[in-house]
Amino acid sequence: MTADTVSRFKIPAHEMERIRSLLGRDPNLTEEAVFSALWSEHCSYKSSRIHLSKFSSKGPRVLKGPGENAGVVRVTSRTGIAFKMESHNHPSYIEPFQGAATGVGGILRDIFAMGARPVALTNSLVFGSLRQPRQMTLFRRVVAGIAAYGNSIGVPTMGGEVWFDERYAKNILVNAFALGLVAEDGIMSAVPPPKPLLAVYLGNKTGRDGVSGAAMASRSFSDGDTDLRPQVQVADPFVGKKVMEATLTIIREGLAGAIQDMGAAGLTSSSVEMASKAGLGIEIDVARVPLRDFSMEPWEILLSESQERMLLLVEEARVDRILDIARESQVSAAVVGRIISDPVFRVRKAETVFAEVPVPYLTDEAPLYDRPARARIHSPSPSPHHFPSEAGRHSIVELFHRLLDHPNGGSAEWISRQFDFEVGTRTLLSPGHDVAVVDLREEEHAVAISMAGFSHPLTRDPGRGAMLLVAKCVTDLAAVGAWPVGLTDCLNFGNPERPETMSDFVLAVSGIADATKRLGIPVVSGNVSFYNETDGISIPPTPILATCGLLSDRRRLVPGKTFRAGLSLALAGPSHDLSLGGSYLDWILDEPEPDPVPQVDWETLARLQPFMSILLAGRTLCASRAIGRGGLLRSLLQIVSGGTTLGVALSLPRLDNPLQTFFSEAPGRILLAFEPEHARFIEQSAREFGIPLRTIGITVPHLWNIRYQDREGRSKELSDSPEQLKRRYSASLTGQMEELP
Amino acid sequence: MTPRHHVGIIRFPGTNCDLDTWEAISLVPGLDPVWVSHKEKDAGDLAAIILPGGFSYGDYFRTGAIAARSPVMDLVGDFAQKGHPVLGICNGFQILAEAGILPGTLLPNSERTFLCQEESLVIENCRTPFTALFNPGTPLTLPIAHQEGRFFIDPDRLQEIEKKGQVLLRYLKNPNGSLREIAGLTNVTGNVVGLMPHPERRASSLFGRPDGLLFFQSLALYLERQSLRTLSEAH
Repeated sequence: MTADTVSRFKIPAHEMERIRSLLGRDPNLTEEAVFSALWSEHCSYKSSRIHLSKFSSKGPRVLKGPGENAGVVRVTSRTGIAFKMESHNHPSYIEPFQGAATGVGGILRDIFAMGARPVALTNSLVFGSLRQPRQMTLFRRVVAGIAAYGNSIGVPTMGGEVWFDERYAKNILVNAFALGLVAEDGIMSAVPPPKPLLAVYLGNKTGRDGVSGAAMASRSFSDGDTDLRPQVQVADPFVGKKVMEATLTIIREGLAGAIQDMGAAGLTSSSVEMASKAGLGIEIDVARVPLRDFSMEPWEILLSESQERMLLLVEEARVDRILDIARESQVSAAVVGRIISDPVFRVRKAETVFAEVPVPYLTDEAPLYDRPARARIHSPSPSPHHFPSEAGRHSIVELFHRLLDHPNGGSAEWISRQFDFEVGTRTLLSPGHDVAVVDLREEEHAVAISMAGFSHPLTRDPGRGAMLLVAKCVTDLAAVGAWPVGLTDCLNFGNPERPETMSDFVLAVSGIADATKRLGIPVVSGNVSFYNETDGISIPPTPILATCGLLSDRRRLVPGKTFRAGLSLALAGPSHDLSLGGSYLDWILDEPEPDPVPQVDWETLARLQPFMSILLAGRTLCASRAIGRGGLLRSLLQIVSGGTTLGVALSLPRLDNPLQTFFSEAPGRILLAFEPEHARFIEQSAREFGIPLRTIGITVPHLWNIRYQDREGRSKELSDSPEQLKRRYSASLTGQMEELP
Repeated sequence: MTPRHHVGIIRFPGTNCDLDTWEAISLVPGLDPVWVSHKEKDAGDLAAIILPGGFSYGDYFRTGAIAARSPVMDLVGDFAQKGHPVLGICNGFQILAEAGILPGTLLPNSERTFLCQEESLVIENCRTPFTALFNPGTPLTLPIAHQEGRFFIDPDRLQEIEKKGQVLLRYLKNPNGSLREIAGLTNVTGNVVGLMPHPERRASSLFGRPDGLLFFQSLALYLERQSLRTLSEAH
């Protein structure tokens, strides 16, 4: 490689060649900087775009789909929900507090850029094992960073997921989801109308923080990366709140033609992408950009990822009012450029032109790769009648204790209590539930949010594992009576230049696309995070999904736990494939020949929600909860967690495979707690909807007793103390975090 | 018709429980919420003032330090001096303490993390405008949501506020290291109240008890009695 082909911005040599042939000359420093950002994986989706077209974003409720800052789905006669999820993995590994905080800030800006007022945040966090001090620090600081931003700006962090797994030690995952409410006639867009418009900068002043962040997030880490901190941005939730209020005021007054937040690749991507969507050009004068550091070069101003900034395209007549609003809100604002009919991206500093590149070269002509994929060699799929883990080898009680004692199986209260999950007072179901439920305060409707990002099924089988995640979301939603109206995802994968990673990616995308089409769930927004790889080792395939569901009557909602004794317990849903492959138990045991990943019974799954709605409408339930991580036993413990002494007495028939019965996470199954007098109605409804239903026991104080017969017909009994089980459950994460100074 | 009493809700930049407080006040017959800017200097016809929770000015500095020095606080000081009801919730309590309108200070939680959880509390002083409807010793459950809620004061003044019955509310189980489990406080004259728990978050509830509503209903009752007294004095 000769010196002149080496890019100052680490653009690969073959892409540099392409840039030269497009321009017919060498790019100058500023232009090269612009290409490095817009052609980065993070901005261009060059390795994933081909595959993402499998997703369908269509649906009668979809108001805005991909291509916008966030997707919007109608949920009442006049209101839509805007929602999206994004990763902030790379920055959070380098500087966990700021990385996580800016992740929250960034996703909130995507939401209010649509004109939606954010009302809920959730997150999905994956770390290495907490036995390592470094992971402990990362975990502690990421949680504090999310709390610092969300709590301060006043948007409740209502729930989420956490997972500790050694394979993520060098590439932690921090994915943030946000949801906002917008009146249907007040939706903003990132696509400008075909009018002469000025570009108005609104928000925090630009500094050197986060320069080239998008390019950094598009590379693997290596030991040589000793200090990437200048590429990490710094969060300011106080300014974030002021920018949010100012932006929402501007949109409410109808002053803006298009808005995009200055996220990855800051001013460059927001200006170029909006111009590109209109088929026009844009001229930016960097001399007019509000700066914190006046020594910044034009390319640094263009690539800075300083936080809390928005770019607005507005008609000239509206500029004064916008500048007034900014002044009242005490945030910076300036006219920094204008839309031009010539489709070029021109960067000036006063009279000097620093870059001039046709917009299509930066967007449509960006590289598009159909990268080679080669499936991993998985261990041969064992026959479904092979039971690798017989009850004889493992005591069920001991296994249950192991599941609870690991931080992955314990209560996540140590995390959720650091988040203000109630500010705004729309929180109907608080953390500790499988879903977050947001009160819409309109037509008695509410929205439920289910997160699913458990990667173990995908490690076993990427395609089927991805389908399982969709099915898990739908089951979680059905358990509260909500039907799915839209899905967003964040696809966290390793290095796409590795054929095995690419194969995982293609299979997972196909799985999600297939499952969502079967169930008619539109995929309205999303994000891809590649290069979660360090020193050549990639993370397991980890798509993280957030599915939003609609509840027609919030007053009928029941919680996922009860404190009452004497309630009947029943299990609703199919039970013909309870394979343990990909389950939490499978992860703990790590058998050399695992069960296959269970197949989803899509038809029964689709009937679950109407069935649950009938039960809830009839006010027959006291609590309901999807069978989730850890299977039936852990879900039982959670459903009686309303009181400290409440336990269960179960009487089960002959079990062919007790391990599967107690630990399977096959989706589509919901645990119900109800007054015995409602049993007939519930059984009858189950028959009408074709939902298998089995009454399994009752809730009782001070007792944890489960009787069943094994395959040979011998009577078995599992006995425990509910108080002790609950202590284990609450101590496994909290105890670990509090013991240290 | 019941006369409507205007309850001013102060909005500092960074206040974020303003709308929740507005909603809670709106639920109580006889009370009318009105916004009060952090720059306001005139109390007008306000019958009571509430400083809601949030992160005023980002709370990057010592909590409440900047808000306590904003123009509206002169108004709040005078208003309190005249004996009108003032309630500070969470950040509002921190600001009142910082401004010296309530005794003591609120330090970072002993565990140094933000804490959002329900707390069992016992109410002790029922002679304030915000607690008139409670009985002393009544147990109640309210959520806390703060990073800096550890009540602290020097031993002499601690003894003094205890002796004068200024402790309004105590935690059953101390979540943040507050001295004597103090969760809420009043001034010597009993018209200014600071609460770390959030009553506005339990003004209505789908599952739990709406314990928070009583604080605002107490205020309505107090203001009602006040105006009846003024009327009878006028006759």
